[in-house]
Amino acid sequence: MLGDLLFVPFVSGLLVTAVLALAGAGLFLRGSVWQALALGQWAAAGGVLASVVHWPVLPVALALGAGVMALLQRSSDRERLPLAVFLAGLAAVTLLAANFAQASLAAAAWAEGQLYFAGPRELWAVVALGLASLVLAPGLYHVWRHAQLAPDVPGTRSPRAWLRLTEVAWLVAAVVLGSMVLGLPAALATLLLPAWGAAYLARNLRGLFLWAQALALAGFLIAWSVSLPLDQPFAPVLVLVNVGLALAARLLAMSRP
Amino acid sequence: MPPQTALHAQAAHLGCDHPVLGPLSLEVPTGARWGLTGPNGIGKSLLLKAVTGQARVHAGTLQLGPATRVSLLAQDHPRRDPWPLCGHDWFRAMGATPPDQPRVQALLDRRLDRLSGGQWQLLRLAAALHSSTDRPPGERLILLDEPANHLDAEVRGDAVDLIASLPAETTLVMTSHDDEFLQAVGVENHPLTDYLDAR
Repeated sequence: MLGDLLFVPFVSGLLVTAVLALAGAGLFLRGSVWQALALGQWAAAGGVLASVVHWPVLPVALALGAGVMALLQRSSDRERLPLAVFLAGLAAVTLLAANFAQASLAAAAWAEGQLYFAGPRELWAVVALGLASLVLAPGLYHVWRHAQLAPDVPGTRSPRAWLRLTEVAWLVAAVVLGSMVLGLPAALATLLLPAWGAAYLARNLRGLFLWAQALALAGFLIAWSVSLPLDQPFAPVLVLVNVGLALAARLLAMSRP
Repeated sequence: MPPQTALHAQAAHLGCDHPVLGPLSLEVPTGARWGLTGPNGIGKSLLLKAVTGQARVHAGTLQLGPATRVSLLAQDHPRRDPWPLCGHDWFRAMGATPPDQPRVQALLDRRLDRLSGGQWQLLRLAAALHSSTDRPPGERLILLDEPANHLDAEVRGDAVDLIASLPAETTLVMTSHDDEFLQAVGVENHPLTDYLDAR
């Protein structure tokens, strides 16, 4: 496939899937799946807004995503506030799309995903995030493992504030870039569903991360090999494949003794 | 604060949003084994939470001894379902080394969401007791909030053995309504009311 027009989209999609699977396992452990919805929706709102004001998409989407995450981190409400923020983001995108022609096109692109049009700029951004994820993985793991303990308290030190902030910043970058490359529904499906299926199959925390990667990458490869020959949009196929894999994982876990 | 003190409170008013306990004055010497007793709702759990920063000190002082590291076994720890952590993961997260006790060892490879209530309580208790054992025993303060809760007959003896085997220099403060359990682990009985309204 080297030199093929679809080589860059394929590698970009595969790499961002691996990053999203890691982020999804982290969000599962934090119990923050609603935050992912709100964050992804405001990243999309940022992308649509950028198309209206003719600014670069990634910085605007990152800025809005970071703002939303900063707001959500200040509240202990893990459901209602993120849901309200998600709905506000949805309304913002709809209003922008209704009033600006270019916003309508951008909103459609964020909703449907434009993986097949991913170029070198997206690829390098994803490679940079992938490398950052490898470097940060031990610290992220430490933060997520520690998040399981409350209300119990260990005699060891809690993760430092800078590490917690880095984890939040990394999550924002993963969700924003994932939504930009795969489209919002496909990115959310890759975040939430493999981790959910993996939580049933894994025997321990390490298993959660490995199963989440395996399910997410399998979902991407199946969706890629189905959507192209059948000339179907990639994002909805990926969502359906991930739903199927998560349900299969659940059933497989139930059939175990 | 006097030397050789693990925990010192002086006219402390404790609470979450508002002060609901106090003024409270007490001094827990290093190496002490205290059983805090009193009726429901008097504030035993609140005191333990304030020590770990989960509740606020609105007035007065609540101080730990220098270099003291605190671990807390909370009264309840509801488990999520599914929750793909095993016993080893829990000990690592607590910064604890698993004890050699066979019943605890047998739980280390099992998923936490598949343990019975008694097994889960025993595992948490063992982890709280063995958290930060790399520190000198005299620098460790262990807080146990109703550790006898959920312990069935099968694991109750193991829990008593674990608590009784703490190094002599380690400080222990626990709450319990179970007089038999307090007696079995050999702690001194300290009614919380004895330390209220003291100035």
